[in-house]
Amino acid sequence: MAEATVQAVPAAETLGTNDWGGGTFPYRVGHRKLGMWLFIMSDSLTFGALLFAYSYARFSSDNWPTPFKFSPSITFSTSMTLVLLSSSLTMVFAVSAAKRRDRKKARLWIFATMLFGLTFVGLHLKEWMHLFDEGLTPFHLPAEWAEKWPGASPLFGSTFFGITGLHMFHVITGVCYLGVIAARIRKFTADDVEVSGLYWHFVDLVWMFVFPLIYLLSVDMTNR
Amino acid sequence: MTNESEKEAASNEPKEAKRLNQIMLGLAGLCVLFAAWDLAMNFFRAGTDDLFLILTALMLAALFAIPPAMAARARAKAERAEGVEEEHALEVHAEAHGGSDRQNVFVWGGLLALTAFEVFLAYEQVNLTLMLIILMGASIIKAALIVAYFMHLKFERLSLILTIVPTLVVLLCLFSILFPDSRRARVLRPPHSVEHVEGSSGEK
Repeated sequence: MAEATVQAVPAAETLGTNDWGGGTFPYRVGHRKLGMWLFIMSDSLTFGALLFAYSYARFSSDNWPTPFKFSPSITFSTSMTLVLLSSSLTMVFAVSAAKRRDRKKARLWIFATMLFGLTFVGLHLKEWMHLFDEGLTPFHLPAEWAEKWPGASPLFGSTFFGITGLHMFHVITGVCYLGVIAARIRKFTADDVEVSGLYWHFVDLVWMFVFPLIYLLSVDMTNR
Repeated sequence: MTNESEKEAASNEPKEAKRLNQIMLGLAGLCVLFAAWDLAMNFFRAGTDDLFLILTALMLAALFAIPPAMAARARAKAERAEGVEEEHALEVHAEAHGGSDRQNVFVWGGLLALTAFEVFLAYEQVNLTLMLIILMGASIIKAALIVAYFMHLKFERLSLILTIVPTLVVLLCLFSILFPDSRRARVLRPPHSVEHVEGSSGEK
């Protein structure tokens, strides 16, 4: 199957298509990859809308809590960022191994990616537990925070748990997706591995915006 | 419509394509002029509204400039086509699935460095607006690196890149049409609105 598509593309190229001309393969990608790109476009609009709503709520509030202490919260979220970036690198290796038809290595790299993804979810849940312990819920601020930041909007909890929760859901979905690809890698082509890689990198990319906007702009440095 | 005009641009540009490109360039110029006019006349008197207007005008200018730029590129390519062997070698290189493992490790290192820079900024407690601007800039660079190298978009065909990237950029920028309202919402809110809402929760 993989051989067929790889052969077909250069054959279509000889039909004399150019960048705008279209022809048999207007984008020179398969339908799965094009579909994944379209999904990524729509999904980035979902996250974009959420992040804009968060910025709007923050900008129009009289006060906004900046509760993330450097020592548990920021160190946790920074290491989560490193873990997610590294998982993207292992996914790149998985895709290039799959392209070399080295299925065993591709499967190992995918397993490494899943491990990093699960580490991310674990760290994130631990980080959520810190906030639950302080008394933050999606709809109420802890009493101490309301005193410390008078007039602070209770939307803090809903935006925080909404955005990071949706992102975590994407990570968990991605781990399941990669698990299916790794378990049945003999049935899948290199293209399928690459498409799953696109999804995984997208999840990484979203975190590159969530991390600075949610965490780094709400650091509490009053008592380091 | 533009597709066909561009297709023939490489060999001998037909009259209509030439006209179309001229019109597009003119529209792009008008948009730039409008942005400049707004900047000169108002100079951000209306704050974020002016900023949005200028950004939208510049974005539209960039969009209108794409077809003429593509035509110019095709023409340059056609002129260069005399040295066929070089051209062929270039294409083979681009076909070779671009982006070696080493290059990807470098990109990963760059992403880590940018992240470290962001965290350092947060530790140093820079002014919030400046911090927001720097962080968003760094995040956009990181996103571009991930999309270009990890997601392999840099090595795809130009038509795919032009389908995905401008669409996303324009749509995400259009979200900011709502953003200037956030300042007004703050001013328009009645005083002590928090107590008011809590006291009269049964009303609504």
